[in-house]
Parts: sequence; C-alpha cells; structure tokens
Amino acid sequence: MLICDEYLTPASLDEAFAAMERHRGRYRVVAGCTDTLPWAREGRAGDVEIPVLIDVTKIPELNERQIGDKRVRLGAATPIQRFLDDAALGRAMPAMPRCAVWFADDQIRAQATLGGNVVNASPAADATPCLEAHDAIVELASAKGSRSMPLREFITGPGKTQLAEDELVTGFECDALAGFGGSFEKVGHRRSLVISVVCLAVMVKLDRDGRTIEDTRLAIAGIRPVPRRLREIEDHLRGKRLTGELLEEAADMPLDLVQSRSRQEYRRDVVRGFLVRGLIAAAKRAGASPDALTQELEAAYG
Amino acid sequence: MARKRGRGMAACWYGIARTATVDRAAAWAEIDDGGSAKIVTGVTEIGEGILTVLAQIAAHEIGVKPEHVVIGDNDTARAPEAAHAGASRQTYMIGNVVALASREARKRLVDVMAGMWDVAAETIRTGNGEIWAENTNHRISMGEAVACAKNRGVVPIGSATFGTDTTAIADGKDGDGSGRPWQAYVFGCQVAEVEVDTVTGEVQVLAVWAAHDVGRAVNPQGVEGQIEGGIVQAIGQGLMEDYQLKDGHASTSGFAKYILPTSLDVPRVNSIIIEDPDPIGPLGVKGIGEPAMVPTIPAVMNAIYDAVGVRVFNLPATPEKILLAMREKARRETMATQAAE
Amino acid sequence: MVDVRLNATINGRKVSRDAKPHLRLLDFLRDDLNLTGNKEGCGAGECGTCSVFVDGVLMKSCLMPVAKAQGAQIDTIESLAKSGELSVLQKAFHKAGASQCGYCIPGMVMAATAALRANPFADREEIKERLGGNICRCTGYQKIFDAVELARDVQNGRVPATALLETDTADGEVIGKNVRRIDAPSKVSGRLKYAGDMTMPGMLHVQVLRSPHAHARIVSIDTSAALAIAGVESVITSADVPGKDGFGVFVHDQPIMARGKVRYVGEAIAAVAAEDALTAKRAVAAIKVVYEQLAPVFDPDEAMLQGAPVVHDYAPDNITKHIPIRVGDVEAGFAESDLVIEESYSTQAIEHAYLEPEAGLAYVDHDDVVTVVSPSQNITHHRHMLARIIDKPISKVRFIMSPVGGGFGGKEDMIYQGMLALLAMKAMRPVRLVYTREESIISTAKRHPSRTTLRMGVMRDGRIKALAMRMVCDGGAYGLSTEGVMRKAAILAAGPYNIPNVRIDTYGIYTNNTPSGAFRSFGALQTQFATESQLDIIAERLGLDPFEIRRINAMRDGATTHTKQTLGSVSLMRALDAAEQASGWEAGAPTVRGGTRGDLGHDDVRPSVTLGTRFAATGTQEAAE
Repeated sequence: MLICDEYLTPASLDEAFAAMERHRGRYRVVAGCTDTLPWAREGRAGDVEIPVLIDVTKIPELNERQIGDKRVRLGAATPIQRFLDDAALGRAMPAMPRCAVWFADDQIRAQATLGGNVVNASPAADATPCLEAHDAIVELASAKGSRSMPLREFITGPGKTQLAEDELVTGFECDALAGFGGSFEKVGHRRSLVISVVCLAVMVKLDRDGRTIEDTRLAIAGIRPVPRRLREIEDHLRGKRLTGELLEEAADMPLDLVQSRSRQEYRRDVVRGFLVRGLIAAAKRAGASPDALTQELEAAYG
Repeated sequence: MARKRGRGMAACWYGIARTATVDRAAAWAEIDDGGSAKIVTGVTEIGEGILTVLAQIAAHEIGVKPEHVVIGDNDTARAPEAAHAGASRQTYMIGNVVALASREARKRLVDVMAGMWDVAAETIRTGNGEIWAENTNHRISMGEAVACAKNRGVVPIGSATFGTDTTAIADGKDGDGSGRPWQAYVFGCQVAEVEVDTVTGEVQVLAVWAAHDVGRAVNPQGVEGQIEGGIVQAIGQGLMEDYQLKDGHASTSGFAKYILPTSLDVPRVNSIIIEDPDPIGPLGVKGIGEPAMVPTIPAVMNAIYDAVGVRVFNLPATPEKILLAMREKARRETMATQAAE
Repeated sequence: MVDVRLNATINGRKVSRDAKPHLRLLDFLRDDLNLTGNKEGCGAGECGTCSVFVDGVLMKSCLMPVAKAQGAQIDTIESLAKSGELSVLQKAFHKAGASQCGYCIPGMVMAATAALRANPFADREEIKERLGGNICRCTGYQKIFDAVELARDVQNGRVPATALLETDTADGEVIGKNVRRIDAPSKVSGRLKYAGDMTMPGMLHVQVLRSPHAHARIVSIDTSAALAIAGVESVITSADVPGKDGFGVFVHDQPIMARGKVRYVGEAIAAVAAEDALTAKRAVAAIKVVYEQLAPVFDPDEAMLQGAPVVHDYAPDNITKHIPIRVGDVEAGFAESDLVIEESYSTQAIEHAYLEPEAGLAYVDHDDVVTVVSPSQNITHHRHMLARIIDKPISKVRFIMSPVGGGFGGKEDMIYQGMLALLAMKAMRPVRLVYTREESIISTAKRHPSRTTLRMGVMRDGRIKALAMRMVCDGGAYGLSTEGVMRKAAILAAGPYNIPNVRIDTYGIYTNNTPSGAFRSFGALQTQFATESQLDIIAERLGLDPFEIRRINAMRDGATTHTKQTLGSVSLMRALDAAEQASGWEAGAPTVRGGTRGDLGHDDVRPSVTLGTRFAATGTQEAAE
C-alpha cells in the first residue's frame, strides 16, 4: 500500500520544481503510477510511506509532441497508447506501434508513460529499446536549468539512471524514421500483460527496389542489465543486398549479447531467431521485393 | 517451419460427489402463492450455474417456469444441510434432492386437485404454470391451484433427502483400496491441436475437442461453460502457471509474477456432451466441474510431442523448457547420426 | 494529511468531496461512494476487475491515485444500466452464459464496451486482443467472446435484438434448454454484493499478522503496543481461543492462528480489529513476536527420511496420508509383459486464483449467535468446526454463504473465518476482513505438487498387464484436504482401463511449504497426467493409434474398477468415439507426425495469435502491408 500525506499535481514545470524544493527528501515524482502502485505491495516494497507524491503528468511541456522531418520530440508524459492512436507518430517511429500492442494491455497503455518506462530502467522495459533504436536523447530539467544526454548514457543499470535528485525527465528527442519498416519481437510466458524475457525492436529501410538495405536500426532488451543497440549488426547489414543468407549471417554474429543470470541458453536461442524474424518482418513492411526473401526462409522463421 | 502443429488426445474418468464416504444433501420446496416455487437448500452459486440448474429442475418437476422459482438463502441456520460446493456434486446431490423435494410438494398439490376434480392423481399433469387433468376440461393456473389447496388447509410443501450408497475404501496399512467410493462415474476424452513456435518455444493451444459424459445436461450452455473453464485452467497449469517457493517464501505472490491465461492464450473449445443417465438418482444427472480439467494437460503434452518430438514430463511446459528440449533432441540426433557414420 | 478536494462527474452526477490523498480511484469509488460494482481483484493492474472509464478511456482504477480523477468524467459499471435496462452488451453476456462466478464480469463488461466503442466491427481475434487486460478464471473466455460478438452483431443490425431473449420453453420442457442464468443480471450490472462489498453499521476492519518464517517456535507475542494505538478495538492470538482449536477437512491439525509454533511463511499469528484498515495495518506492525528458528523441511522426499525435521508431533514420519491400491500381482504382470516402460513425472503447485480474494464479515446477533458471512464452499462443515473451536453449541454458530467469486476448491478451508468469529465475539461489533491478492496467494491452499514414478507393462497387442505408480505429494504445513486428494488420486490413477495387476501408492507429506489443499480435479489431474502421457509413449512404441490403445484397454459396461467396484453403464467408448469423430482425427501411431498429418487446421480451430490484428482494422500503420 502506498501511503502519502499529500498528493500534488503541479500545472507547470516551475510549480513542480518549487514543490520538489519545498519537500526535498520527502517526495517522489510519479507519472502514470502503473508501476509505482504495484511496487508498493507485499512481495515487492510492501507498505511504503512517502510524505509527498508529485504527479507530473499535467505539466504541458511533458505532453508535447512535435514531428519533424529529422527529429521527433515527445514529452515524457506521453502515454504509450499514443503510438497506436496517432498515425503520424506511428509513421515516424515505425517499431513503436508494434511495441505498443505488446505493452501491458489497452488500459495500462492509456496510463503508463514513456518517461516512466525509461526512468524505471527495468531491464525488460519494452519501450526503451525502441527509443534506443531512434538514438533518443533524454531531456532533463531542474530549477537550475536543463541538460540532455543520450538514452544509452542515461540508463546505467537495472533501476539506475543519471537522473539527479532535483531533476525531471521532460522529454525525448528521437530520430524520425519515416519510411522504415518496423517490427517488435517479444516473448514472455503468455501473450497479454506479460513481462519480456526477450524483446527486440527492428527497423529497416530499403532502396526503391526493395532489394538493398539502406539503413537499419536494432535494439534489444530483457537479456542484460540495460537495453543494447546492435550497431555491429546494423553496420553489417547496411548497404547490403537483402537476402536470407545475409539475415542469418547477421543473426549469427558472435556478440555474446545475453548477460542475464537466468535462462541464458534459452535467451541466446531466441535472440538468434528473433533477429532473423524481426528483420524479415521489418523488411517486408519496408516494401521488400517479393523475391528478395524466399518462402522457405519466411517459413523457417516467420 | 518455425511454427509446427500437432495433435494429441487423452481420456479420463472421474467420480461424482464426495469420495469414499456417504454423501448427502437435503432441500425444502414449496409451491407458493401465485404459482411460483420456493426452494431452500444450504448451498449457493460458486459460479458453476447451480442456481439456474436448480431453478430448471424445480420448474420441470413442479410445472412452473424457471423464472418463477426462487432459490432461498444458503444459511446454516435457515436451510437444510446441503454440504459443500465441490466434488462435482452440486447438480448430482443438490439437483437430485431438489427434484425429490419438488415432487413431494407437487404431489401435495396434485392430491388436492385430484380430490377436487374427482380424477385419479396419475392423470393430473403440470407444466408451464398450469395444472390440468388429462382427457378432461379441468385446467387452471398453478396460482389458482395453490389457492384451492390453501382453502382446504393444505400448504403444498415438500422436503427430501438424498444420500449415496457408497463406502470407505480399504486404505489402511495393509489395505488393498477396495470399496465403493462413488455411485456415479463419468468418462471423457479430449483432443488438442497445438502450434509450437520453434523460435521461442511458445505453445499455443489452438483447439480442444472435449467429449464428456454428464449423465443428463440440464443446461447445455452451463455444461459447456464448465468444460471451457476447466480446459483453460488446465492449460494454465500445463503451460504457464507456477507457484514458486524459495525456502518457504513465495516469489510469485502477485498476478504480475503468477501468470494466468489471458484471452489471447486460450483455444477454441468444441464441446460434445454425452448423456449416459445415472440410473440411481431421480434425474439421471451426473457432474462435469472437475472431470473437464483432467484430460487436457496430457492431451496438450501429447500434441506437443506430435508437433516437435519432445515430451514434457515436468509441468509446466514453458517456452524455455520446450526450446531447450528441442535443442537437446537435435543434439542427440546429430550425435547419433555422427556415431552411425 | 492533506485531503484532495475532488470535483468530478461520476456516472453523470457531479461529485465534490474530500478524499484521503493516498486513496486510489478504486478505493474512492468503492469505499467513499459505495459504488461496489467494480471490484478489486489484484490491486496491481493485472486482472481488470476494477476497469472504469475515465473521460471515455478505459483504465484500471487500482492503478490510479484518486487525485488523477480531478475534473474527470468517471463511468463505472453502474453507469451502463443506470436506467434499469441492461445494455446490449450486458444482455448479450446474460444470453451467452458469459458470467460464471461473476467477479471479473463488471470489469469484463467494461472492457468489452470499450472494445466495441473502439471498433464496432471488431472481429473475434481483435476482441480477444482488446480484452487482454482482463482475467477471467471461470469461463475459459469462450462465452465472453461469444457475448461480445453477439452484442456487436445486434448493435450493427446483423442479428435481431430478439436473439438476446430467453430460449423458448413454450412447450413446458425446461431440462436440456439453455435457460439464461438467473444470477447473471446482477453480475453483469455489478449489483451483486460479494462479502468484500458488504458493510455493516459500526463495522471494524481486520488485518492479520503473518509469519515471516517457515518453521519457528513462538517464544512470545506482545500485543500491548498494538492495543495502545487509537482506533484499535481488539487484538487476538491463539491464546484467545476458548474451545478446542483446530480445523481441517480430515485432520483438525491447523489452529486458527499459529499456536506455539509457525509452520509456513504467511501463517496467521494474530489479528487486529480497528476502526479502519490503515489503523489495523499499523497495529499489526506494532505487534512484537519473538521467534526461535527451527530447522525447516521443504522437500517432501527429504521430509520422509529418518531424522528430518518434524512438522507435526502427531506425525513423526511427516506422512499426512498414504493410500494404497492393490490388484493382482504387479511383479508377475511385469514379468509377463512384452514391453515395460517406466517414466517419472512431476506437476507444480498452482494457485486457484479465483478473482475474488477471501473476504468475510462476522457479528454476534441478538440471540448470541456467532454469525460468519463469507464465500465459503462448505458452510456445513465450517459450522461444526467453529462450534468446537469457540466452544458453543452448533445452534449458536451460523454460517452464511455469500456469493462466491470463484472457488475451485480453494474456499473449502476455514482459513480466516475463525479469526473473524473470535474478533466479533471479543469486540462485540461486526468485523470485516478482506484479503489482498498477495495475502490470498501466500496464505491459502495450493494444488498439491507431485512427483510420480509410473511403470507400465503391456503386451504387443496393446493390452496393459500391469501398472505400478508411486506418487509423493507436497501437502505443505497443514493437512487440509490432503488425505482426500491422495485417496481420489489413487483410486483414479490407473485410468478407466482394465488392468489385471495394479499397485498404486500415493503419499501426502507434511513440509514447511504453503499448505496444499482441495483444487478442482483433486489429485486425479496429477495421476492421470502421468497415465495418459505414458499411454502415448507406449502407443508409439507399439505402433498403435492413441485412440486404439485406449479402446483395447477401455472399461466397458459392467467393468470392475481398481477398487473392485462393479460398474453399470460405462460411457468411455462413447466419449472416445465422439472426440475422435468431432475432431476429424486422422488415425496413426503418435510418431511425431504433426508435420505430415492431414487433420490440422479445420474450421473449428482458432487462428494462431499474432498481436496487432487492430492494425489491419484501423490502418494506423503501414500502407505497404
């Protein structure tokens, strides 16, 4: 049970910073609360008494959305459901809607925020690898000013980030990747409301003929303390002709990705299969030429 | 193929009502003013649909509509003993005793009407809220009949008790287990069709065909509901659920960690209801709550084997277990081939 | 504490009132506004019993601090049939038989309403995806999908509204008809009151102190600090039990609160009744217990070894119950067999996971009758046990069975009703206890985990000559239904087959794990899993079709069971034939022929689930697809 004496809903960043200053050492910042409330239960943190909760979801800056040709800016309070409801956003971030359908369920997606998913820094977070694949920059602000840093530097370990005590995550700036095909591969122990054992975000951009990989983005989570971009694989694929052999080659690159303490062998197997499966799906959505990938390959991994 | 399909089947048997002991239940029935019926018995709904089943049975026996049956509270101080809501016994024990109590109440009413109409009681029929004498023009509503009975000083009530002819089994130290644990047995058989994703090891149960003897289906939709629910619970145990303890402490104490089947994890269930009436009870009914669950897991495990050639002996058949077993099998087959060369 | 002044529109009515800042929207709706239609099933957003509309968007109200509802329009299940007339979806749930225990149903109806609002033409697969946040433990979801499809078709005019009405029973025959469930209207509308929805004037709230240790002697319990807290009315421990303490279905080995020692993590030690749940919680935290650790035993096979820690003094070998079944001479049977196969199987502990966590009220009435209202699956037996425990004549003990939000055997044990009765007697005020999901999971019975060794001998033609099975089950810390589970497991272990030589031994063992108890299919699930798996292994070895090997051995009319009972009619052959025909089974030995068999993928098989059916429907993405 989460017990507080006061629940504040600041309407501006300044109000939020003032509240944080006023209640220094006695507050916790919350957003969607979809993880905070389950956290404060038996078997996890148990009953937790926090004098002040500061809810940042009503701050206008945290709800912004700007889609440019090169970059997308999303406020930290963006609910995950927006990736399913907002077609323009889905085009600019083509793996994100695929991720969103796997993210918890329809209802939790309406509450859970992008910023919350990142700040929790769960190794199994679904949205984080997608953001990582977009070279996301985390925007941070405090009463003293603002700063930003790449997502890969922001998350330092399970549940650990570079967020300073007096800071808020205000938003994310991401590459706009319209024209890429996206996929999101995930496995857990069931098909809804499930924690990832492995999850993989894949985006692929092909040439006009749908035969050559112009660009690709891959990032994986669930298998190590923090999500990891797969740049080695991206480099291997970029500029090459799209073939089944190429995808299998990429999947077989010896990267030793799995660092989880449990289910290592299983995760290694799944990662390999997911790489090929995810690349096939993303390539198809990117308009792969029908003869680029054989039916046998699709049957073997699809 | 990344997704391999297969089929498996399994059969089952089950005993109805309490095991190796004398089971019993009692009920009261009253044909009430206006021609409705009031049934009182000490057990209630746990979701299986027993209240509706009892209403149908009382309606059938008395001759009123099911919506005109009221089932009284389940209260040890206000209702006769019906014992527990379990052991697949509700329709069998409570259904049968409600039928008997209803018959007695009906008989009281019929006897009054037979006297009034001067006809043999056997020629009197009831149904759909009416009572009439065959081959005569005597036909009135049940409400009118109750009024007639009451004018003659008769309240048409009935009560009944229903017990089983069962025994303990010889399960003492040197016993052989012999005995008569139940008087009604049911049998069933299920076929499962599965798809195994060989990239992830996930199993999807796509369909189950479930044929179960229920004696007599009072409410077929309710029977299907029990079969469907039982199968999905079994799939939970077969594929995902796992209450884990470490040094006595649960690591799966909430629904985030204790994984249950969702709407996306369930097969299409095709139920086939078989009616082999119980010869002992007045209705021919038996039970379905528990037996529906019994053949599902082996049917699914047999289907997984059919699809990918690995057998899970230790439940649950998680994706990890399946995938690792497949890898192990492939490794063994490779070694065998190499050894043969 | 700074209250939140909440201004919102709830079910069309303006609400303006103060709420405690830590409340969740769910608490505010249920406790402050008495809108108990939506339920609390897990408190962690995992089950959907609490789903409500917030500004038209469905959300889980257990995950929403009440302050987030500021200025919002909230619609609960009560809003759907506000006029008294059920919505089309509610009527469809009624018609399709989509509610069983009903506890998930208010949330499920809300989720279905949201699904059809999002896409009035959603197909079955999309409906499934949109209901993915709502767990149902009773129905297997089929009838829920049926109901949503029916409602969709009625709303779209594809099916007449008369399809929602009662089955015609004009001929007077009601047996064998799909008469709509009489309890459904109250369930689909959220009107039915489960124990946790009930209140009484002057009612106190109960919280329970539980053991953090698996096996420990209780040296002392000091409740003085708890009693000193303002608002605390009563604290009880086993010392307050006036009669002969102990409950259980077969042996009365479990005290209503730990007596002298604790035997599993989560065992109740003391209970507090206070003016509100938070105060009771704080009082529980203030109770001081001194333990002396005892060596625990967690593995049932280890528990059977000499020198293992003893869980109950009365059972020094830790055996709760052993059930033997003996027919013929198994060793001779194996010797005669052409093929003998031995395998080992195991099944895990599982949780009943009824959506309604345990809850109950107790009070002492004007006639001094101690009354307990709870979703008990066995009020008759609970009454007997409680009378002895509180030392009253049976006539002074009354159990009322409240609507049960799922049981599956898990509510057969008198786990908490004794504490409620004692507190009601001590406080002389009504008391109510509502378990959290976590409390329910750690402290109540599980399905018996099992380890089974099964040896079967068969002739080349498929006839089973001998079967020997030994199953060891972890019964956990208390007996509960273990004896009965072992008995049923053993009686049914060999399956419905004629086998001349049978030796079955089932053992229920005490350990310091969470107790195992009654669970739908009661031991028969564990043993028949082994037997039915092994029949397929044998069928493959003999080249027999799985149906065929079962037919060869099937009991027929007049068969004699393994407990030497003569049966009358045996419907097994009918069941085998029916399943084989309905599934269009292609005959053949079970030799991993999934890749080649021709009977897969019929119309009565669902498609494989790949998430994202809505993309095709709504076109949010990928014109390229």
